[in-house]
Amino acid sequence: MVRHAFPSLTFGRYTSSMSTIWQSLELLIVKGLPTTILLTLGLLGTGVLLGFPIAFAQVYGYRPLRWLCRGYEQLFRGIPALVLILILHSGLARSFNILLPAFTSALIALGLRSSAYQSQIFRGAIQSVSQGQMMAARALGMSKIRAIRYIILPQAFRLSIPPWTNEYSSVLKDTSLASAIGVLELTKQGTLIFTRIQFVMGVKYILVILILVAFVYLVLTYIGNAALGFLENQLRIPGFEMKGKVER
Amino acid sequence: MNESQSTVTNDVILKVEDLHKSYGDNHVLRGVSLQMQRGETKVIIGPSGTGKSTLLRCINQLSVPDQGRVWLGDKEITSHHENINSIRAEIGFVFQSFNLFTHLNALANVRIGPMKVKGMKKKAATTLAMEELERVGLSDKADAYPAELSGGQQQRVSIARALAMFPQLMLFDEPTSALDPELIGEVLEVMVSLANDGMTMLVVSHEMGFARSVSDEIIFMESGGILEQGPAEDFFTSPKEQRTREFLSKITELYGD
Amino acid sequence: MKRALLAVFFIGLLAVSGLAQTYNVASDTTWPPFEWADAEGNLLGFDLDVMRCIAALQGFEINIITYDWDIIFDDVGIGRADIGASGATITEDRELKVDFSAPYWTSDQAILIRADSGLNIVTALSLGYTVGAQVETTGAGFIQELIDAGVSVIIREYTLYPLAVLDLINGNIHAVIQDEPASEASATAEEELIIAGVIKTNENFGFFVAEGDPNGLLPLINDGVTQIKASGVFDNLVRAYMGTDLTKVEVAWKASIGLLEAGDVEAFAQALADGAN
Repeated sequence: MVRHAFPSLTFGRYTSSMSTIWQSLELLIVKGLPTTILLTLGLLGTGVLLGFPIAFAQVYGYRPLRWLCRGYEQLFRGIPALVLILILHSGLARSFNILLPAFTSALIALGLRSSAYQSQIFRGAIQSVSQGQMMAARALGMSKIRAIRYIILPQAFRLSIPPWTNEYSSVLKDTSLASAIGVLELTKQGTLIFTRIQFVMGVKYILVILILVAFVYLVLTYIGNAALGFLENQLRIPGFEMKGKVER
Repeated sequence: MNESQSTVTNDVILKVEDLHKSYGDNHVLRGVSLQMQRGETKVIIGPSGTGKSTLLRCINQLSVPDQGRVWLGDKEITSHHENINSIRAEIGFVFQSFNLFTHLNALANVRIGPMKVKGMKKKAATTLAMEELERVGLSDKADAYPAELSGGQQQRVSIARALAMFPQLMLFDEPTSALDPELIGEVLEVMVSLANDGMTMLVVSHEMGFARSVSDEIIFMESGGILEQGPAEDFFTSPKEQRTREFLSKITELYGD
Repeated sequence: MKRALLAVFFIGLLAVSGLAQTYNVASDTTWPPFEWADAEGNLLGFDLDVMRCIAALQGFEINIITYDWDIIFDDVGIGRADIGASGATITEDRELKVDFSAPYWTSDQAILIRADSGLNIVTALSLGYTVGAQVETTGAGFIQELIDAGVSVIIREYTLYPLAVLDLINGNIHAVIQDEPASEASATAEEELIIAGVIKTNENFGFFVAEGDPNGLLPLINDGVTQIKASGVFDNLVRAYMGTDLTKVEVAWKASIGLLEAGDVEAFAQALADGAN
């Protein structure tokens, strides 16, 4: 049961506009938003879990491994997100009789795709840490692994935050593709609302609903960016610049 | 008995035998050999590109030589049996471009070696690090990050970082070449005091003043090989080789005396 | 001893009654008056309530899930959902993926136009005008057939029907083709739109299940439809949903759904129809 801030006034189809709009916003947030947030966080998490090892392998691995990773990355970046979702959801079902719930299909498909993009973010970050850092670490007697862990990765992590913020913004919008396979996320919830609104208030009010949906996405993007910006600030190294060294 | 055998009784910290290194077609090191006793300071001079830096890097295997052998004390570095990480822990390396760890402040830079390589506890490592920073005159900058320090300060921190490992030997790869002239002095001061304290130092440098005042021997390298070497005074006053004379006159032109 | 046995018996009975089989019903709930979601997210509509009545009569539970129209046949065909109830016209193509019940509703297509356009049903479809339709509907199929037959008409497909109606009102297209009840609902809701005419396509709606009917549901569904037609429940549902003010229906539904949950199918249908009119 959704409790309403304003009492709903119903006079046949002349429902009070504001309260209907308000109701719609509440419905969007209560029913659509949690799924969108869960999907976004889930797929980003999958992306990190898969993307980081791939980036690592691409930078430090043997050639055949690097070649494999490159292939993985090309594959999942090259296929449109929607196609990937459909392959996982319908393709697997038809060909191998594997029936995944819609949410899971979307999560895995978008997660795989994000992992390909994220692996590039991490790879770029690791590679932008200057060679001199590794040399100095090894010269002290650190093993390669320790050097990576204590010297390279902490710096690479900070360098990945800005591009990762972009990934978040982009992925948040991709979650709306999950509506194609019936996941009841924000966009789908919006369509349920506006198909009703057309009879309750007239078809022109569809635009209002669409604007509400867009508004919620905007707010989510803003919150995410703000949170990541905060993290970036907390981790800021005084005077640190992209290339890692300032020659004086 | 020949000369080399009688010197065995002294403390030979470093022995380099017939090192060769090529980068592609470029034969950079062509059979370089040298020795260092405990407490000696030797300075390598010579034109650019003659393999001076390469020599240093081949000693602690930052570059792997194609041919030749290197010993630290009685351990053969070039042998596959030795653990290169533990060998490197005993050799301090100071880079031309400092290479301080940018995400760590000065104190953390100095103590990370003892903590993560030697397994020292944080408290003890911190005390040690502060001592070394004190030694190079930067104990008041312990909280500063590399990007907040001047070039001279960064290089001094990097020396402290190397010293914190209590190395048997220190290698300096053009330590002042990337510094503004007014900052060179503070670094050379530290190096002089190290030499006077008895550290075994092999330095690649253009700083003739330093070379003259503190080194036991000057080594002149050209075209991948050692052309001439000898005690500092003799070297500067009466160089043997023609090329040495030419180089020295050019240097005094550029750098003064 | 006897009392204990009786107790066990009744507990057992209760337990078994609670274990009624539950089936997932897939529906594209964006199509009033056949299926839609109200302001609180309750799913109602003609198809859905017919299904609910059948389930109540036949003794199984259903769980209605919103599905996308594009994949609903694939998904029910594979068995991801057990039953499809979504205003689906029985066609040969669809029969390849799913099995249909006996028809429970006959529908025609209607053409929606702007009142001030001066078109009629013939001119709208033959003078090179653009007609909007929802993707993969029989309405879209009809226009496509006209095009294939050489008639001068252009089709524009939309993922959702309201988007087509919006375009019609804004003047971007000239007509929209859609099943009659949905068209009527639009014509009632929008002053600017009228129905140009009805095309008697005599389409039959059917409920559908996976090929081969693995759960044995079709006989139950067909029998259920027969029952509700005989008992007047079907007529009441028609009275409730067809050509009525949908907001009234929503209110009536919320008021009377309790009756259905208590098992009184006829009372529910009666209350709903009365409340909606």
